[in-house]
Amino acid sequence: MLQIIVQGLLLSGLYALIAMGFTLIFSVGRVLNLAYGAYLLIGGYIYFTVSQTLGVPKVLGLLLAAMVGCLVGLLKYRLLVKPLKGNHVAVEISTLILAVVVQAGVVFIYGDSSKILLPIVPGVTQVAGASVTYNLLAATIGSWAILFALYWFVRKTHVGRAMQAVSMDTKGAAISGVDPDRINMFTWGLSGMLGATAGVFFASYTQLSPSMWVAPLIIAVAVVIVGGIGSIIGTLIVAHIIGFMEVLAVAVIAPELRGVFTMLLIIGVLVIRPQGLFGREEL
Amino acid sequence: MSFKKTTLLAAMAVAAITQSAVADIKVGYIGSLSSDTGLSTLRGAEIAIEELNASGGVLGQKIELVKADTSEDPTEGVKAYEYLAETEEVDFIISGSIDDVSLGWLPRMQEFQIPTLDTWTSYIGIIDMIVEDYETMKPYFMNIASDEALATLYIDFGKDVLAEKMGWSSVVILQEDTAFGGAIAGLVTDALAPNAGIEVKESIVYDITTNDFAPLFSRAQDSGADFIYLISSVNSQVVSSQYVKLQVPMGMTGVNVAALGQEFWEDTGGAAGGISTLSPIPSVGFKLDPVSQAFVDTYQAKYDTRPIMPHFNGFNAYHGVKQAMAAAEEAGEFNNTSWVTAMEKQDLTLKLDGETWLRYAFWGNDEIEPRTGRTYPHNARFDITEPYDEASPSMVVIQWYEDGSSAVVYPEKYKTGEFTVPSWVKAKK
Repeated sequence: MLQIIVQGLLLSGLYALIAMGFTLIFSVGRVLNLAYGAYLLIGGYIYFTVSQTLGVPKVLGLLLAAMVGCLVGLLKYRLLVKPLKGNHVAVEISTLILAVVVQAGVVFIYGDSSKILLPIVPGVTQVAGASVTYNLLAATIGSWAILFALYWFVRKTHVGRAMQAVSMDTKGAAISGVDPDRINMFTWGLSGMLGATAGVFFASYTQLSPSMWVAPLIIAVAVVIVGGIGSIIGTLIVAHIIGFMEVLAVAVIAPELRGVFTMLLIIGVLVIRPQGLFGREEL
Repeated sequence: MSFKKTTLLAAMAVAAITQSAVADIKVGYIGSLSSDTGLSTLRGAEIAIEELNASGGVLGQKIELVKADTSEDPTEGVKAYEYLAETEEVDFIISGSIDDVSLGWLPRMQEFQIPTLDTWTSYIGIIDMIVEDYETMKPYFMNIASDEALATLYIDFGKDVLAEKMGWSSVVILQEDTAFGGAIAGLVTDALAPNAGIEVKESIVYDITTNDFAPLFSRAQDSGADFIYLISSVNSQVVSSQYVKLQVPMGMTGVNVAALGQEFWEDTGGAAGGISTLSPIPSVGFKLDPVSQAFVDTYQAKYDTRPIMPHFNGFNAYHGVKQAMAAAEEAGEFNNTSWVTAMEKQDLTLKLDGETWLRYAFWGNDEIEPRTGRTYPHNARFDITEPYDEASPSMVVIQWYEDGSSAVVYPEKYKTGEFTVPSWVKAKK
């Protein structure tokens, strides 16, 4: 039992980190950024190239991956989302296509075989019969730190409060002197940064492959649908529900059913409580 | 018709007849054009054909190689075989297909009756088909020991090393959800375990898209078994690297296809120390006889992309193509009668330090293998009884060490290193 708790906590921390950037965009911009998984893909491959292949220190590799993720987020907003403003279906379709294009680019450059990313923080210890890698522990602690920092940022800073305002009512925020365009741009950059950072940890925990953007996207979508239009705390809670559900499915039922319960949960919530478990919340 | 036109038509007809008289012998390659496995067979065949053409070709004609990609998909495999048979009208097919793909195109082979040699597929069911319906299946040859022969020798490894040397008495099977995984798991449960006195505590089946093995390894630990028997042919580097990164405190051996290639260390980012696997031969860490070494030297001088070292099926393709062409010379053509008889007689023994090291030959149609008590028509001749002086053993066990080196650890005659558990696993004995 203790083993399940340890593994559930670690996995959930990683899932929370993965979902956060996606939730931000959904809350502020009201669009499903289906190219979100591409941030993770780009972050993982940038880190692999810079740190594992060229030997640049890991922290610098991680920072560079986050910066590139941020840049891609900004460009995506400026070149794709803004011109399609107001047409959510067009944004969703074009971001999905963009993810496929990014995948094709990765295959072209790196080939289609998967690669193993070495841990950012090496080492492992046994806790209650579960192997706990320092890498995943760092991802979990990092995830909590980022989430609390984000929570503080949104509540206590001017930009954060402006993000809250835009997420509640764009027109109202604009009347109050907030520039929604700047806030959206900032949010897309921040989302890209979070996604790329999550991608480095996710890839070092699992594997690096051109199709690795799909699974995190499903997790992120699940968090948004199950949690409702996201809040930071809601994201954290739903990430833990999904993380623990997966670990329990593998440990108690059957490994093949690992992702099935997440899918069932999405369907169940859509049918019974379409607004999500936590309904509409502000950031 | 004017004289000019008649002359022109006659000239064209003569040209066509002349061209047909010197037309190349066409060899068709069927297999993946992007996997290490497929490329090994393809390149082995390419080298053999270059060498044969340099010495005059076969039947007085040059040999041309045409390729058909299966993408490791059974449906694509059927299309590929049809393309080679109908569009290219090849004389002989060399296959680097995996089991499921070979099973897909076998009905086409039965239909077209084109001499065909499989270099990777080891499914005993295909040999059974030859036993049951020789007339229809006779153009088919398999120059790798069938999986039943591999398993029989692996049982010896279980008894000699896993049970006796390591003192392991219970196992948890960690098996991918594929036909291959199911077949090997069946052999482990029904043959290895009872023969070696090892109890199967639990079987854990996982989906091939799994990329987080931590909960599975925890479940394996919970089973209380002494070691994990891994069966993985798809994306094996992921489960291998996570075993190392998580430092799972149990030994792990089994069938790990990614570990068969020289690129395994690089593919896992160096997280491969302690992984061992059953392997057909020649494998990584295998001592090579002079002929096989010369083939590897030629291969490495010619190709600078992965796989940097041919897998076992590359060797099979190299020798197999040469034997198929020698059979054609003897029979005077490629067909499903005299060529088959000539191919059945092909026999190449490669020696190292005066000992039989590798042998490329086939079992006689009615010849009974003494240990298993059955026949293996058109299957590679193997020897599963010490001292392995009749032919090559059906398999070896290879081990990757934590310094990135690899060695053969079983059987004794071919051993270049010791079977060990990784440094973080406590040995039982």
